Amino acid sequence: MTAMIDLKNVSYRYPVSDDSVLKNISFSIEKGKFTAIIGNNGSGKTTLCNTIRGFVPHFYKGDLDGEVIIDNTKITDYQLGQLGEKVGYVFQNPFIQVSGVKDNVFEEVAYGLENLGVPVEEIKVRVEEVLKLVKIEYLRDKNPFELSGGQRQRVALASIIVMDPEILVIDEPTSQLDPIGTQQIFEIIRLMKERGKTIVLVEHKMDLIAEYADDLLVMHKGELVMQGPVRDVLADPAFEKYQIQYPHVTEIALQLQKSGIPLSFLPIRDEELAEALNRTGVAVHD
Amino acid sequence: MKQNILLQLHPMTKFYFTLFLFAIVLILPGYLFSFALFPVLLLIALFAGVLKEFLNIVLKALLSVLVIIFIMQMLFYPGENVLWGWGIFEIKQEGLLYGLLLTSRILAIGSAFILFFRITEVRDFVKSLEDIGLPPMGAYVVLSTLQIIPEMRRQANTIMEAQKTRGVETEGSVLVRAKAFIPTLTPLILSSIAGTEERAITLESRAFSAPVKKTSLHQLTKSNIDRALPIIFALIVIGLLVWRFFF
Repeated sequence: MTAMIDLKNVSYRYPVSDDSVLKNISFSIEKGKFTAIIGNNGSGKTTLCNTIRGFVPHFYKGDLDGEVIIDNTKITDYQLGQLGEKVGYVFQNPFIQVSGVKDNVFEEVAYGLENLGVPVEEIKVRVEEVLKLVKIEYLRDKNPFELSGGQRQRVALASIIVMDPEILVIDEPTSQLDPIGTQQIFEIIRLMKERGKTIVLVEHKMDLIAEYADDLLVMHKGELVMQGPVRDVLADPAFEKYQIQYPHVTEIALQLQKSGIPLSFLPIRDEELAEALNRTGVAVHD
Repeated sequence: MKQNILLQLHPMTKFYFTLFLFAIVLILPGYLFSFALFPVLLLIALFAGVLKEFLNIVLKALLSVLVIIFIMQMLFYPGENVLWGWGIFEIKQEGLLYGLLLTSRILAIGSAFILFFRITEVRDFVKSLEDIGLPPMGAYVVLSTLQIIPEMRRQANTIMEAQKTRGVETEGSVLVRAKAFIPTLTPLILSSIAGTEERAITLESRAFSAPVKKTSLHQLTKSNIDRALPIIFALIVIGLLVWRFFF
């Protein structure tokens, strides 16, 4: 497997700040993997996303040390415009993620493709498809400025995945969504993964991360403190000290362990709890 | 709305028509023609189905200006033939004529432009400018301004409400409302400035600066009329110029 995103000893300091927001971060993400970045507020997750997308250092100045390599090319060798096609970035605030020149959602979603110079006929087909995928067909004629937070978040996601980038960087895409909407977004992300996209997701909803993501990066005060497959990271006792929430089922399992009930392994998904408890193979209802 | 032949014209054709009116109003002497143009514009507006809005804006935007200009010219334009006098105020024939000429021209030109923006969607107009070479950056600035103004008004209301909950008096006498202006306006301006950075990133994430030629879902078509009319306009203007200066 080839590394799609590769960071080597990356540190970054915003122009007028004294402290580094990112401190000596190294990791690599293979093509087609779904990696979740977790960490508490202010730990540098969004800045890390900006770095992968190339907004650091192309847009935000400041000091960037180390190497960021996207698809075997250094980020400094790309032009900002070229990265648009390669790395799709859905960012946090859904209220500002509107182009501001389009009257309806259909054209809003098409905007990125227009900028990429895709032929009109193809744009229509692709936008149609994405609207269906993200389940916002009913919004197609609405003004993007008149949508609710959750609707805007879906439109923002649609506007990026329609551009079909190889890498998707998604920063808290579900902060404004209800549980069902959140689940749907994760299903879309899974679908993107099945299409071979490399996905980097910042999210706080651990249950869903445990269910969908392959790998975890744990950020703490600007440092990358843990990385690896989701299961390994959560099973590591060191995880506890960063005060990040466990998936609910893992939390329960840890409580059970503390009260002396042995588990065959640490469950991270709801359906695994029974299996972890039934290590002798006795069926529950017998 | 789509059935209307007038509205279906290419925005550039409408624009040339406006410029054409502008030119002939300046070329032709006297105020009669310019005043006669206004009913013609009214007819066009009626035909395009925008008569009410058109009249409304003309009345609001132009009428007061015209009245003031007319009175000023009438009273203060230098001249010999006093028609009527009262104290220091004297109405002179020259002033009357000049006032009529000036107001007729302002009326004709102003209402021609107002009509243009009534029968042309701004996005169509900007698109047509883009087609003849306006850089996408410029087009974006114009179009986004159109959308951002209502958005800012909404934001101003939100800020106003927020300040109300903090105890800033926003209702009452003129003085009270004037005082409330600063705590409302400052956050609005600051947040708009802060918003530009995020907007730039939004555009960038939509590949705004991608080094390729953009395409557009929004296409304008030119009919034969759209090709013929500008030539006719130009010929008439040249004809008028020739007539005016050589005969």
